[in-house]
Amino acid sequence: MPGSKTIRFASLHDVELCTHAAVGERRAFGELVRRHGSSVRGLLRRMGAQPAEADDVAQDAFLTAFERIAEYRGEGSFAGWMKRIAARLYLRKLQRDRKLHLFADESGIEEEIQGGDADAAIDLDEALKTLSPGERICVSLCFAAGLSHGEAAEALNLPLGTVKSHVKRGLDKLRTRLATPQGAASQGRRGNG
Amino acid sequence: MAEVDFERRLERMFQDIPAFPDAGEFAERIERRLDRGWATRRWLIGAAGVVGGVLGASQLIMSNVFQRVESAEGSARLLSSSLSQVAPQASLIPDLSAGSGIVWAAMGVAIVMMGFVLTRVIEEI
Repeated sequence: MPGSKTIRFASLHDVELCTHAAVGERRAFGELVRRHGSSVRGLLRRMGAQPAEADDVAQDAFLTAFERIAEYRGEGSFAGWMKRIAARLYLRKLQRDRKLHLFADESGIEEEIQGGDADAAIDLDEALKTLSPGERICVSLCFAAGLSHGEAAEALNLPLGTVKSHVKRGLDKLRTRLATPQGAASQGRRGNG
Repeated sequence: MAEVDFERRLERMFQDIPAFPDAGEFAERIERRLDRGWATRRWLIGAAGVVGGVLGASQLIMSNVFQRVESAEGSARLLSSSLSQVAPQASLIPDLSAGSGIVWAAMGVAIVMMGFVLTRVIEEI
């Protein structure tokens, strides 16, 4: 009875679902996708991917994860493991499209930080748009995908110092942007909801 | 300290991603792709099995297996008659003369082995 099986999977922990998926139970993996699909797609969009592109990469990431599910041993969250796979796939795609080099040096780029725009409803997605592509991807890798600076540098094929400075500049901009009352209120609402 | 607090807040904000309205559809799309891949794999294994079976059968036929079975029967009969000459009192193996029995036993073992192989392949699928 497929319905009862779905209900059974819905009550299982991620690690248990992974165990089922590892023996080829595709419905168990489907439950994992249902749970974590949005966070992976959201991460890719926050890294700067267009919605359709983010969905394609997310799909590929989940299919890759299914193939490699035996490698996940429950150390750390499944969502974190999944996000790292998705982030690396997206970087590889950028590399193929020869867009990765654009992040190498953006020291000249200084965008205007519109911290005083009191009317705008500011949330993280809006704030991320004020970052340069390099800053955005480095901050996303380190704070959303959970990569260390060193891992991000390796994944981006950039010097560690460049990644660190991207992260620092990105954080400064986000701090200014998110410090506005609207930004805080917006986050407060999301946090309470 | 404020720096650390902000970084923690930022991490929490990154974790806070609202569910997409088409989350269910997205999951179904992936399940369909997995099912398709699985079906393809099953077909490939099946086709490889059929090809292997045909090759094996043709090799059996080409190598005059029936003639070899007959000669094996003859050898078994010869062996049993020699044994009865050497030790006629040893009637522990009275039916060894039924050489075809050995051949049938070997075939039975082969069928059991094939059963094991098939079970393993089905488990893999």
